[in-house]
Amino acid sequence: MKYRFKMEKGEEIKFIGHLDLLVAFQRVLKRADIPIDYSKGFNPHQLVSFASPLGLGLTSKAEYGDFQLKEDLDAEEVRERMNKNMPDGLYISKLVKLKEGVKNTMTSLERADYEIYFPDYITPDDIKENLDAFLNQKEIVVMKKTKKSTKEADIREDIFSAEDISHDGKAVMKIYVSSGSTRNLKCDTFAEAFCKFINKPFEKYKFNYCRTQMYMKNENGDYVSLISGVEL
Amino acid sequence: MYKKIPDEILLQVEKPARYVGREVNMVKKDLSEIDIRFAFCFPDVYEVGMSHLGLEILYFFLNRRNDTYCERVFAPWVDMEEKMRENNIPLFALETGDSIKKFDFVGFTLQYEMSYTNVLNMLDLAGISLFRKDRKEDDPIIICGGSCAYNPEPLADFVDVFYLGEGEVLYDDMLELYKKFKKEGRTKQEYLEALLDFDGLYMPQFYDAEYNEDGTIKSFTPNHPKARKVIKKVIVNDMDKVFFPEKQLVPFIEVVHDRVTLELFRGCIRGCRFCQAGFVYRPVREKRACTLLENTKKLMESTGHEEISLTSLSTSDFTGFEELACGLIDEYKEKQVNISLPSLRIDNFSLDLMQKVQEVRKSSLTFAAEAGTQRLRDVINKNLTEENILNGCKLAFDGGWEKVKLYFMLGLPTETEEDLKGIAHLSEKIVEKYFEIPKEKRPRPVAVNASASCFVPKPFTPFQWDAQDTYETFGEKALIVKNEIKRKQVRFTYHNTMMSSMEGVLARGDRKLSAMLYRAWELGCRFDGWTDLFDFNKWKQAFDDTGLSIAFYANRERSYDEILPWDHISVGVNKSFLINEREKALRSETTPNCRQKCSGCGAASFGGGICHEVQI
Repeated sequence: MKYRFKMEKGEEIKFIGHLDLLVAFQRVLKRADIPIDYSKGFNPHQLVSFASPLGLGLTSKAEYGDFQLKEDLDAEEVRERMNKNMPDGLYISKLVKLKEGVKNTMTSLERADYEIYFPDYITPDDIKENLDAFLNQKEIVVMKKTKKSTKEADIREDIFSAEDISHDGKAVMKIYVSSGSTRNLKCDTFAEAFCKFINKPFEKYKFNYCRTQMYMKNENGDYVSLISGVEL
Repeated sequence: MYKKIPDEILLQVEKPARYVGREVNMVKKDLSEIDIRFAFCFPDVYEVGMSHLGLEILYFFLNRRNDTYCERVFAPWVDMEEKMRENNIPLFALETGDSIKKFDFVGFTLQYEMSYTNVLNMLDLAGISLFRKDRKEDDPIIICGGSCAYNPEPLADFVDVFYLGEGEVLYDDMLELYKKFKKEGRTKQEYLEALLDFDGLYMPQFYDAEYNEDGTIKSFTPNHPKARKVIKKVIVNDMDKVFFPEKQLVPFIEVVHDRVTLELFRGCIRGCRFCQAGFVYRPVREKRACTLLENTKKLMESTGHEEISLTSLSTSDFTGFEELACGLIDEYKEKQVNISLPSLRIDNFSLDLMQKVQEVRKSSLTFAAEAGTQRLRDVINKNLTEENILNGCKLAFDGGWEKVKLYFMLGLPTETEEDLKGIAHLSEKIVEKYFEIPKEKRPRPVAVNASASCFVPKPFTPFQWDAQDTYETFGEKALIVKNEIKRKQVRFTYHNTMMSSMEGVLARGDRKLSAMLYRAWELGCRFDGWTDLFDFNKWKQAFDDTGLSIAFYANRERSYDEILPWDHISVGVNKSFLINEREKALRSETTPNCRQKCSGCGAASFGGGICHEVQI
């Protein structure tokens, strides 16, 4: 039986990178004594996959992934047993059995939302006064790093929208951007482009981000969360 | 509340998970209910320290007490150290993030000599004065244990208490006493004096050393009426009943050994004459296989690990080995759990078992031959013949292995050129053994990796009086071996010769070395066990600046009547036994192992273990 989960990743565990998180997740399944299925072959591994790696230092309200069990267990029971064995900062908020023929989260993913928490040298006013103008640009050219080189890329098309959600005197922005294997915009690339636009330095270690949602397209072409409409 | 290191810093260092704690099974306590705060410091980087079973045991042992909170501290890697110094962040404990400067105890485990500068560096990062004489009443008590504590003298000026022996024995009494003294408002000095009542604890301040003109020790005498002339280590007699944690910490990042670790027994029956562990951990005390199987079950459930490792000095000497191994295989074979069997000796190598284990996942084969000829193996009492080794390899090759690792040592006492060339010859004979099996049964090319360490004479071994080779000689010897290897299937590597030389100095050093260590630290030495960071020139300068000589400590043969810096410490093995063993070594005579015949080393005085088992 295949399952899809939605998981939160909090402050306590945000410095654990993607591969280490996968191992930690597998150990949760072991401790919870959940009959996870293994791949066949010389080096069997647990059948667990995540939608998209989350960068080191980021938190998330909505990480998604799939796993396969040897048995057909009640989803709520699996969720409870897993949560009891979770390290601090990880929490499965939703778990469903998957319908036949649903593509895995990694290939389904098309869009993601993030919140950007700006450092103190960027004020709520900086955002209020500049966000519309930033979004109204025809093109937004940034330097994108690939493995081999750094080249110019236009990210305007990857930005669906962005909102000013500053509060308590802190500059905060919510962004809606493309995500996945075909088009992908990293939230820090967005933040850097915005800083450049308002002529402020981009001190990258002072920024915080939280991924708040991930979407796929349903049969009507609408963006829905990775866990909606997939339940058996 | 947990005080975090600023994100901005963690984002700029390699592997920030080293500094945030919060691992599964980490102990959390309410500080308002705690009387004693204990910092367990491992003087190396997180991944190394978190692979140390002693840390796991003591961590859960101390934390089982409601009045004590034991927290972990590791040496920050150089990038983090730089950030900490830049931002005035003192050394902190992982559990709470609190600075350890105000803890009651700061304990270090001394596992290898090359970590000594890290001990000093960690004290400095914590804001604690390095030298004992400079510390005040409200500074923590600095306590050191571990295998290197058996020769504590090089660290004598820095440390308050050396704990000689196994942690389970004294800590409860020591902490009770501490609590009582703290409540009564008595001083740290009064507490340290009260500790003189305990055997197994050595407080260097209560002893004075005088030296002869040649630098050797003239006298070493207690300066306090209660101070013992000889301090004897303390051990657990019944290993089957002693506390063993049902949990182990589960690190988030890959550490050196990512697995459940089972301790089968303490001590070793073998008595290899170069091996300090083989003498200082005597006598052999075993756990029962059924106890170990129970321990395993709980540990697997609480960690979710996928590998179990059996650790002890010579795993296959465990009397319950078959019962344990079969029990583990029965229980875990279906559960994708790998069983790793280090320290298997090839003379009772079980092909059947290895094949059973291999079905789960492939592991590698390692043989510790130690020396290249039978004569030299007899000198070191490594009761292992060339025939044993070759037969073991033949069995392994038939069973489908094709990679063999061999461990050797350069510079063993009485070594000749023939012994060195023997390393090459033995390695090549193993390759030839592989070609004896039919061609269709060897799909992959054979690979023999021979690696050599440089022999370091250690205290409490029969070779404690011997001169160590200089690093130049080690280099020349390595070349002799290298040039003798003709087959391309044999790869030969050897350990950093200069590092081995420094290890030789510190292993048998006296208290004069405290000044040298301080100078080395001042010059920037740290992480000296890491080849990339070890800087021999700084060490040489530290010696020059303090007027001491490397050769005096490392390359000088001692006479039997010289007062050795560790003579006031007893591990239970008599000096007369060690002298006899050395004489036998020089005659290439071997000594039977403890299970074959008791050789009367002195360890029977502890009243437990193999010395008192009924001989069958």
